Amino acid sequence: MTGTEIYKRTATYERDAQAIRLHAPQWKLLLAYDGQRTLAEVALSADVPFAEALPLTEKFLDRGWIEEQPITLDQYLERAGMHGVSATGTAVPPAVILHEPKPETQKLPSLDAEKIVAPPPPQNIAPSASLARGSMRLSAVIDSIISAAGNNSLGQLLAYRVFLRVPPDLLLAEGIATVHLVNDSSLVRNETLQRAISNAFNEIVKKSLPDSVFAAA
Amino acid sequence: MPLHERDIYYFIDVTVAYLNKVTGNEIVLRDPTIEFQSLVFSAYTGLLHLKGGAEGFVYITASQEFLQHLYTARHSRGRFTEENCRDVMNDIATAIAHNVHKRFGPALHVSEPRIFSTVPDDPIEMPPAVFVQPFSWRNELAYFVLGLNSSQIT
Repeated sequence: MTGTEIYKRTATYERDAQAIRLHAPQWKLLLAYDGQRTLAEVALSADVPFAEALPLTEKFLDRGWIEEQPITLDQYLERAGMHGVSATGTAVPPAVILHEPKPETQKLPSLDAEKIVAPPPPQNIAPSASLARGSMRLSAVIDSIISAAGNNSLGQLLAYRVFLRVPPDLLLAEGIATVHLVNDSSLVRNETLQRAISNAFNEIVKKSLPDSVFAAA
Repeated sequence: MPLHERDIYYFIDVTVAYLNKVTGNEIVLRDPTIEFQSLVFSAYTGLLHLKGGAEGFVYITASQEFLQHLYTARHSRGRFTEENCRDVMNDIATAIAHNVHKRFGPALHVSEPRIFSTVPDDPIEMPPAVFVQPFSWRNELAYFVLGLNSSQIT
């Protein structure tokens, strides 16, 4: 399971729904499968960390409440950012690679968290040199920063410095309120946000972001 | 001149060292996160403001059970009260402040610890992002939270 799978609820679910007993966050995830969005997108929309969504999805599959929804090549190409078979010939598009996290041990604070909204973006984002067209994998960005730091703990703090330079409203608009410094599963599709992350990386790490952080388009 | 990551990491290092001293090296570091939308507060919090080489704040926030385990590890007896929670949190924050002052001297001003329960009385300004390092011990969680002002990113 990579996060690119698409699931829909089944007739078994419809039959059993009244008898099913789940915790509210699990219901939120179960009701979010729509046969349209990928598992990663569904988890994001249901506010369920990807690492928690994986075992829950397996559980729902085992119970027969959801099943994988096959998609056509055209749908796949559209999702991968391409424009249909006619535009691409018969070439098989490269897969969109999502980062698959290990089971997550971290429990994010639920508690009495005080919500304080982040301030507006502090800077203008200058257009940068050419960027690849695919989605940007945050996990790969973080790996690049840690690799540049040469030390995991220091690299994670360096990543914090990089993301301090990224306007939070761009991240929030992309549905990213949290960056997991280990096994983040987020994909950045917005080009302005990609540029902001790329520029922040250049400025703090003093290197160019490698093309490998982009999923092939 | 902003502090290097090594210096920033020292804050986490002294926190873990203090907690490990009390717990007998049983503190487990969980995967850290960067938060863009909200600050996280558990039951009790010890807050330090920073000025000079780093501008912003650090705080430790922990569940009551986490602090109760710490209290029991140190005192082994006695009734656990809210006052004890504050005392334990104050000890952690003071230890951090003391060690940081020892290392950085006047180059970095660390405020007196401010201890509060649940949420701060005076709102804390949310920086563009905060670094959150969770720790666990006996299935209870505490969090080290670092918030640097955007001026710290040159």
